[in-house]
Amino acid sequence: MMIALDVNSTTREVFGNIAPWMRVVFFVMIGASMGVLAWQVLAHFRQWRKGRPGGFEKDWRVWLQRLTVYALAQKRVHKKSLGALLHLLLFSGFLVLAIGTTLLGIAYDGPYYFHHGWYYLIYELTMDVFGVAFCLGCLLAMYRRAFQRPKSLGHNWRDWWLLSTLLGLGITGFAVEALRLHYTQVQPWMAHWSTVGWLIDTTMLRGIDVGTAKTMHLVTWWVHTIMVAGFFIAIPVSRFLHVITGPINIVARPERPMGQLVPLTMEEVEQTGRTGVHELVDFNQQQLLSLDACMECGRCEDACPAFASGKPLSPKAVVVDLRRLMSLGGGDVHATIRDETLWACTMCQACVQECPVLIGHVDLISDMRRDLIGEGKLSGPPAKALQQIGNQQNPYGRPNADRLAWAEGLDVPTVESNPNFEYLFWVGCAASFDPRAQKVARATAQLLKKAGVNFAVLGKEETCTGDPARRIGDEFLFQERAQANVETLGRRKVKKIVTPCPHCHNTLKNEYPQFGGQYEVQHHSALLAELIESGRLTNAADGSKDPITLHDPCYLARVNGEVDATRAVIGAAQDEQFREMPRCGKKTFCCGAGGGRMWFDEPPAERVSNLRAQEAVATGAQTLATACPFCLNMMSAGVADTAGGENVKVLDIAELLLSRQTSARTQTE
Amino acid sequence: MKIVVPFKSVPDPYAGAGEAAKSVINPFDEIAIEEALRIRERGEASEIVGVTIGPPAVDEQIRSALAMGVDRALRIDDARALDPYAIARILRALIEKETPQVVLMGKQAIDDDSNQVGQMLAGLLGWPQATFVSKIELIENKTRLQCSRETDGGIEVIAITLPAIVTTDLRLNEPRYVSLPGLMKARKKPIEVFTCEQLGVSVAPLTTTLSTSRPPKRSGGTRVESVEELMVKLKQEAKVL
Amino acid sequence: MAETLVLIELDRQQVKRPSLHAIALARELGGEYALLILGSGLDEIAASLVAYGASAVVVADDPALAEPLADRYASVVADVARQRNVKTLLGTSSTFSKDILPRVAALLDAPMVTDVLALEKVDGANAYRRPINAGSMLATVKVDGDLRVLTARATAFEAPTADAAPPCPVESFKLDGAGLPDGMQFISREERISDRPDLTEARVVVSGGRPLKDPETFERLIGGLADALGGAVGATRAAVDAGMAPNDYQVGQTGKVVAPELYIAIGISGAIQHLAGIKDSRIIVAINKDPDAPIFQMATYGLVGDLHQIVPQLIEAIRQG
Repeated sequence: MMIALDVNSTTREVFGNIAPWMRVVFFVMIGASMGVLAWQVLAHFRQWRKGRPGGFEKDWRVWLQRLTVYALAQKRVHKKSLGALLHLLLFSGFLVLAIGTTLLGIAYDGPYYFHHGWYYLIYELTMDVFGVAFCLGCLLAMYRRAFQRPKSLGHNWRDWWLLSTLLGLGITGFAVEALRLHYTQVQPWMAHWSTVGWLIDTTMLRGIDVGTAKTMHLVTWWVHTIMVAGFFIAIPVSRFLHVITGPINIVARPERPMGQLVPLTMEEVEQTGRTGVHELVDFNQQQLLSLDACMECGRCEDACPAFASGKPLSPKAVVVDLRRLMSLGGGDVHATIRDETLWACTMCQACVQECPVLIGHVDLISDMRRDLIGEGKLSGPPAKALQQIGNQQNPYGRPNADRLAWAEGLDVPTVESNPNFEYLFWVGCAASFDPRAQKVARATAQLLKKAGVNFAVLGKEETCTGDPARRIGDEFLFQERAQANVETLGRRKVKKIVTPCPHCHNTLKNEYPQFGGQYEVQHHSALLAELIESGRLTNAADGSKDPITLHDPCYLARVNGEVDATRAVIGAAQDEQFREMPRCGKKTFCCGAGGGRMWFDEPPAERVSNLRAQEAVATGAQTLATACPFCLNMMSAGVADTAGGENVKVLDIAELLLSRQTSARTQTE
Repeated sequence: MKIVVPFKSVPDPYAGAGEAAKSVINPFDEIAIEEALRIRERGEASEIVGVTIGPPAVDEQIRSALAMGVDRALRIDDARALDPYAIARILRALIEKETPQVVLMGKQAIDDDSNQVGQMLAGLLGWPQATFVSKIELIENKTRLQCSRETDGGIEVIAITLPAIVTTDLRLNEPRYVSLPGLMKARKKPIEVFTCEQLGVSVAPLTTTLSTSRPPKRSGGTRVESVEELMVKLKQEAKVL
Repeated sequence: MAETLVLIELDRQQVKRPSLHAIALARELGGEYALLILGSGLDEIAASLVAYGASAVVVADDPALAEPLADRYASVVADVARQRNVKTLLGTSSTFSKDILPRVAALLDAPMVTDVLALEKVDGANAYRRPINAGSMLATVKVDGDLRVLTARATAFEAPTADAAPPCPVESFKLDGAGLPDGMQFISREERISDRPDLTEARVVVSGGRPLKDPETFERLIGGLADALGGAVGATRAAVDAGMAPNDYQVGQTGKVVAPELYIAIGISGAIQHLAGIKDSRIIVAINKDPDAPIFQMATYGLVGDLHQIVPQLIEAIRQG
């Protein structure tokens, strides 16, 4: 129903009850507090500028896309939790109230007066709805802090102070509205649009005379105003800083594949005398900015396998500790962050995947690891693995001449016997030398042969991709391998690569382009899935009804997004006995071997593999399929250590698929 | 306090058969270097001098020692196949020139496995010795060392008066990893070179290796069906029982 | 006639049996040989050594020699060797002789050969075969000069029999205990409970994995087999984690790296981390019930079956020779 609206009378007064001198005080107060805010933010900005110049994303289309997806649509915040819900309420409430208040200011001061008519009515209603959302968000946040108390969130008196201020702002805002409605004696039809104020007015302010209401309004208005000013001042010294720094970092973070680390050049090292980050200012400006973007929500910590297994690493603590160092003016990062903390990281990227404001925890850790390597702070088995990559071109220290030992009796084509291959089968060190993983190489080769794929292996020309060296922090050892391998692959005219190792896959695909190596790289799961799709292989189950589950390798699923091919290879969709683990697909949980951790010793209580094995065994599966030789190694040890897991078979998807081929030719093994 | 660490260049023990083996610092000597660095990092030593004997080719291993953190490095230029006693006599001349309080070195070189030089050097100098050491502490105002020794019978703890010789066992520590930039930096550090004549020693080896051979090779992957068959194989084929 | 002096090692006031094996080399060298013991309160021990065919048992008995401190011991051994005009000074390879004898060699201005496996004749002269490169190669070494110091690998020479008649004389070596070097001081010894050799130096290593189930079974089977072979005991990380064996038994990437003549892996599937620690062993025997266990790819000899039946049979077979 439309009613004729008198545009001029359908509005409200602004500053009606506020004497002109008070308005001056108001503007000075708000202006000053915003000045303090700006000055504080500028101080942060100066800290960021101390870092190495640059590191920013330059493409404005990426900025817009990120602002839409991560800032406005809050993609990373959404999940089924109270925290996500209350953030949505607070975020939307805050955003709308802030925009509304700004509009009111423009209407009051600006050249065009538009705060009337239908616009006004809808404005009032919208502000009230989002005001309620905002207050509800505050209450839920308080409830969460008081009763749920999630550890990873962190708790501090400032949080209560901030939440109380926010809730106070909401309540006094509504009170001011109700009192204004009361003393201006607005017509009820119009007051209904200011729903909350009207409800308060009709229920609580009955019988109060206009004079008293005016006085009460004035007092409440001042309380509200002082709170607004206090809030502005609180922003830079509280979690609320992220409303400014979060979007800036979301825009600034450089766009590159998750699995790609930034190369270091010898020139940089010679200029700075440093490999990686030793002093805080060795981080680049974007990295320093990202520290201030953290609001300590703790999602990274909740996802971190190192933290879950009791190691001295929390990605959040790394960020918060570095930020504290920055606020103290910088200094030696290793005085703040222990070496064991840095070594504990599996580089599984779960924290990076979770962070709503796109902080690059793994880059921070990698940069500091590089310095530890440069300073000679690594010893023991991982140091030996690096030495062996340098001396024998593989982390196992085995003679490279034995690269083809796995292929004995299989008549596997090499680049010499079959120079016109279509696919290069990049075996990887694990599948070449680890007797358990060798079976994966054998199974893969047999499947490729059966499917009639035209492939070849490099044999003793293959060496470590350098992935473990790069993750552990020895960038130049990695580059030595990368350059040598790019040379070999070029000489052998390689265009398409298939590999059973997700780490080789990631490095060949995402990192070798940094050294001029461009290939079409597929993980064996993708190629095998294609071969099944085209009918050259079959994944029809052999009749066994054993429950089966799948462990997604981090560097395949999370880092490179491949979650369908592995499931297709084992026929998960057709298999009633297939069971997903709670953490699966791109949200998988690390096996514990990444980031060079394969070569670190861990006490049993701290093994990530045991946590993951318990999760797998709990599904009731009798077969645990995976698609990575390191996962295979870690999960085999993990299930053997887990109650009820003694009889769980851990198999690569290629081994499973091979067992499902019925031809006599492949039944030899 | 000054520490001298004599070290040897040996073929990489992990190199495969038929490969041109790279040389590395003898792993036991690397442990000695690491321990000297740790003593210096604790503030108990002021200077670490690395010493090796060999042709210019061993400079690469000297760079590794410098990259690990050795302060100065000396090479005694001698390309002959020396025996432990000759090496001990050359080192004696150098030690008398450098006058360190501690000489730290590996208990043996992993190529000839002789396990002699440290003890011989101690005998020549008349200094106390602690061999096969898995723990070192400076005691009594840095005048003595307390060392745990790994003996066949168990751990033995002794105290020795400085100056003294210490030879290191595997368990003493795990040496730090040296990366490429570290090696690059070490390239700028000088290596002092001496000849035996300059040191005033004239030695000739008294032992000579006449020939080398391979022990019976491991035959790969035979399955046996019974304990009896295994015993026969171990006795007659492998000759280990 | 050239005389050989054999240094015999004592342990807790008893002759350490393997140190007698050097007598076999002394006999091969020919000529007379005397035995030398050092310590404090040695009368009974000296008497136990008179029937090994030596020309004399020389005893250096002094409270100052109660503990085997290298500076004192070397000084006394060198004095005895000089006094007797010894041409060959001999010991059995052990941490005791390797600590003392090289020092004696320096005092005597003599060359030394460690770990002699066999005596060879090259152009009519004595040469010595010894292992190098952790046993992966054998070298034949000749020595110049009249005087030399040798240590013999106990496992390469037979234990001598004590059947010589008449018994040889016991000669006391006069020494001035107060005049000995005193730069070294004994503080304490943490005795190893077992007499098993050190893992990294043993000729034989027997290791067990998770299927051994508990410490008792582990000790009975793995310990039992190791003792039958005079070898050391090792374990996988899983066995150590499960509390079956102490930490310092762990063999592998993060434990000890071993390279014995004979490595016996029992109930070990062969994780790459374990294989990294054993790959340089000369002979690897694997006993496992899973025929597909990766260890079989690395093993020289593989036996598939239940270790609880096989290992006792194996111990029995070895005991019977």
